[in-house]
Amino acid sequence: MPGVSSDSARGALVPLSPESPAAAVYPLRHGLKSPISRLSISWSRGNSLRVSVFAAPSSDGSVNDSDGGKVVEVKLGGGDGEISEAHWRRMAYGSVSPFALLQSRKNAVSSLSKMSMNSSPYDGDWWDYIMEYSKDINALLVNQKSASVPVLDDPKSVITKGEEPTSLKAAWELLEMFYAEKPSHSWLPERLVDWLAVNIDYDSLFSGTHPTVHSKLVDFQKELVNLQVVEDDPKYWEVMSSALAVGWLNIVVKMLRLHGSYRLDQLSNRETENGLVEAVAVLISKMPRMRLEHEAGKLGECYKAKPDFVKAWEKWRGQINKLDSSAFWFQCAHQQTREGLRSMLQIMLGNANSLCSATYNWIELYISHFLYMRPLTVGLESMYSLAQKSIQLKPMASAHRLMGLIIGILGENTEVVLAECLKGFGPWMVAHAIELLTAGSDHAEMLLHEERQNLGGISIEELHRLVYAQVLSSFPLTWQIAPIYLISCMKHGMVLLQILLSKQPVQDNQLLLKSIEICRLYELHSVTSNIMKIAGVHHWKHGRKGSGVFWLQQARDEYRLNRIALQLFDSVGKTISDESFKQWEGLIQLLGSDSKTAGGLEFLHKYRDFKKSLRQIHDGKATDSARQAVESLISLMKNPSTPQRFWLPLLYDSLKLLNWKERPLLNVSQTNLLLNKLQELSMARLRPDFIESELPPQALNSVRLALGTNLGRAILEE
Amino acid sequence: MAFAESQNPLRVYRIPQSRYIDAVRWLSPVSPSDRFAAIAYFDADTNSPSIEIAYVDPNPQSSSPTLTPQSSWTSPSRISSLRTAHSTPQPLLAAATFSGSLHILASDLINGGVMESEATVSQLGFHSGPVSAVDLREGGTECVSVGEDGRVNLVSFVGDSSKLNYRRIFDSNGLVGYTAVKWASPSEFATGGYGFGIQWWDQRTPGGPVLQFKGNWCQGKTSGIVHSIDIHPSRKHTCLAGGSSGTVFAWDRRAAQQPIVLSGAGTGEAPNSLLSESEVWEVQYDRYTRRSNIGNISSTRILPVMICSEDGILAVIEQGEEPLELLAEPCAINSFDIDRQNPSNVICSLEWESLAILTRS
Repeated sequence: MPGVSSDSARGALVPLSPESPAAAVYPLRHGLKSPISRLSISWSRGNSLRVSVFAAPSSDGSVNDSDGGKVVEVKLGGGDGEISEAHWRRMAYGSVSPFALLQSRKNAVSSLSKMSMNSSPYDGDWWDYIMEYSKDINALLVNQKSASVPVLDDPKSVITKGEEPTSLKAAWELLEMFYAEKPSHSWLPERLVDWLAVNIDYDSLFSGTHPTVHSKLVDFQKELVNLQVVEDDPKYWEVMSSALAVGWLNIVVKMLRLHGSYRLDQLSNRETENGLVEAVAVLISKMPRMRLEHEAGKLGECYKAKPDFVKAWEKWRGQINKLDSSAFWFQCAHQQTREGLRSMLQIMLGNANSLCSATYNWIELYISHFLYMRPLTVGLESMYSLAQKSIQLKPMASAHRLMGLIIGILGENTEVVLAECLKGFGPWMVAHAIELLTAGSDHAEMLLHEERQNLGGISIEELHRLVYAQVLSSFPLTWQIAPIYLISCMKHGMVLLQILLSKQPVQDNQLLLKSIEICRLYELHSVTSNIMKIAGVHHWKHGRKGSGVFWLQQARDEYRLNRIALQLFDSVGKTISDESFKQWEGLIQLLGSDSKTAGGLEFLHKYRDFKKSLRQIHDGKATDSARQAVESLISLMKNPSTPQRFWLPLLYDSLKLLNWKERPLLNVSQTNLLLNKLQELSMARLRPDFIESELPPQALNSVRLALGTNLGRAILEE
Repeated sequence: MAFAESQNPLRVYRIPQSRYIDAVRWLSPVSPSDRFAAIAYFDADTNSPSIEIAYVDPNPQSSSPTLTPQSSWTSPSRISSLRTAHSTPQPLLAAATFSGSLHILASDLINGGVMESEATVSQLGFHSGPVSAVDLREGGTECVSVGEDGRVNLVSFVGDSSKLNYRRIFDSNGLVGYTAVKWASPSEFATGGYGFGIQWWDQRTPGGPVLQFKGNWCQGKTSGIVHSIDIHPSRKHTCLAGGSSGTVFAWDRRAAQQPIVLSGAGTGEAPNSLLSESEVWEVQYDRYTRRSNIGNISSTRILPVMICSEDGILAVIEQGEEPLELLAEPCAINSFDIDRQNPSNVICSLEWESLAILTRS
């Protein structure tokens, strides 16, 4: 990874946290008794290390079971505790199609905008494409084990547990909200309120130890079952104020209706008290919200246009003020109710101190400010300064990864957003989030697409895609996805793809063919033929001659075919007897008649034909077969691919033809050719590297004699 | 290319498995409403291969089918080939492995699908290297295994001896490798291999293949490997084969050396009739046909064929007609099986660690 490890002082583009975690210790369970003499460590698949432990040989020379060594795999890191390996792979598989679709649409859009200069590339369907992409990715992040929804609506259950949110999903939703949704920044505060409500179970997201509104609610829920008179419990009012502060209106109204004054037996003597509780509940349910629309059943009244909202807002606040200063409070005998309700009114009126004491961390405070103090906040800049203010009021001891991301987004700092994504959520997140970051911002696009010298001439976008592709490549089940990301990298993608494909194992045909298929898709013909050559040699070496020959033929590797031909001929000389002919038949068929791909093995084909006709002579089908045999013999002897050491065995096999009773089968020129070859052979025998064939010692002489006789007879006949 | 959606209603359910699926087969059900499948898994996280029997509930409350694992058997090595014999209530499974062993498993579907290993062959010399294909004889007690090492072995399992004995039918000493095998009759079977070659064997004529189909018909253009063979019980003279370059062809033993090419290499037709250009991993005769009964189709015509391919196609091919595409996945479909009893049901394994169940109606 170029550039990443360079020190941050020089302005590294991907800042890595300087506070390196404490060294992790992984115990090795190798089970060796004898002392260890050597260790060898290499990368295995994924983030596993393969450690080979070599034991020292025992000093007394005795052989134990534990001698030698062991190879153990050590899995580094637990990964993301939230997401299992299997879920991670499912995300990787699922994100391929949306990513590929978006890339092809991007290419189409950019080529279209090149044709017509004046139209902006980002209009029309563009935002629909981005949104579709984001929704597709988001759908992958749902945790599979969703909680079962209770059938009966329990009146005392104030919070319901939906699907378990993951911080990865929460983070993606943040990015989607700020970057993918067609710029509608005036709704953003309300979108944040919804985001927090959807990720309602966020205490696991933010910090397990610090209290949150949600965790307080959960605690109170547990106590609720045992409470007889809820309104006497100060926690009841506390929790309701908190829930109101973050805008969970439905929960608050539901809790208010648990108030004892609603009970039929008490209604008559707590009439005023009940009236006040109900008045607050009604006010809460009528809260004006500036947003498009609500989900069905959600309380609050929505206004799309600002003037309408402002009018409703003023009216609502007026009603609250009126209630706050009403004389009925003095008639309310129950102290807790009186104080609790009035503090809720203060929250609705946007009292800064009330909001601050009702919330537990800055993000809750932030949300409450949007709801009750500055509902008209527009623009990232003012949202950012409000966030800064909230952080000052409620600083957090440990920053959660989502918090960092929110600050980065609000601060409009693309580098920080990317760094937080990488640090908190890993390469998958960054590779896919970049699409959202660059969707609508020319600044971010320039920043991420600019080619950088310190990254080896590639852009940040390409860097992160390459990193993700590397992660995919290191797992045996996901490496096939990596090419999709590699080919979207203009500079280094193709080279890395070639390396990736060349490194794949060739032992198994199915895997081999899958690699070849990828080569075919990206037209990497040289890689294909290399892989085939490697496979061919592998099979050949393991005794699978047929498979070896097939792959070398497919690779059109004449050089290696010729080399292995020599080895094959060795076994031909020994084993091509009539019995073993069936074994050879298949291989010879595989070689086919196409001599180009057969290399030196073409000889085998002709040899088979020759043997076949010879055998037919034995079977008694005389002259025609003999003629055919002679023709095969001559073409074999003429052919340069016939190895010299087969000349004598061939001629010796044909003695019967040379001494054909009825009439000479070879004419003068044919006989001369064979005699010349015989002469050449006699000369070659003098050379030291000559390989003697396993024939009776008189073979050469009997062939020479037969040829001489045949020559004489042929001359006479002509 | 015709798409299935427009012609007949098709329901497809994809069920993520979180494990790689090496093979999948239906098991013959005990009662008409039951569905059981045998799935060969490979868990990449723990490096452990296994075979599981799962009950497939086609219509639970949540509208998509669910798989309920019944029993599991841990395999010593990854499964290279899995076949089932349709005997009830104890269907037999033959599983071949990459380490060169063969396992016969029996599953009792009445008593909760308990699976037991009946017998194992793993002697040295059974196969050298992986067993590339195995086939169980229908209702019989024999199976044949082949490998790229060029060995053709016949394994018979009569009685309850846990050690199986095998008989070597042929050994080409690696000169010819076999990649597919299928029984045709109690004594005959067909094998396939490199260069689109098919061999026909008859146990009554030992010493080698009885007939060989030369694979050099594509005239050097592209050659390939036969990955799968099927033989229809009513058309024993025809071998159906699928392999590289999207090739699906049939070889009529009675006819000459000319194949009937249904798809892929050597068709020489317009490229739009090309269903797939990549590996055809499996072929099976599709017994699900609404049009007419099989007997009416002329015996020279090839019966409808279902194929699955590396580029994610599951399709039905009929001779002389546009292929009917059932699935077009973004990842490879590595194997599939058509339910014998109810051929409208198809189960297939996808490269991205999931199963797909199709119901045609």
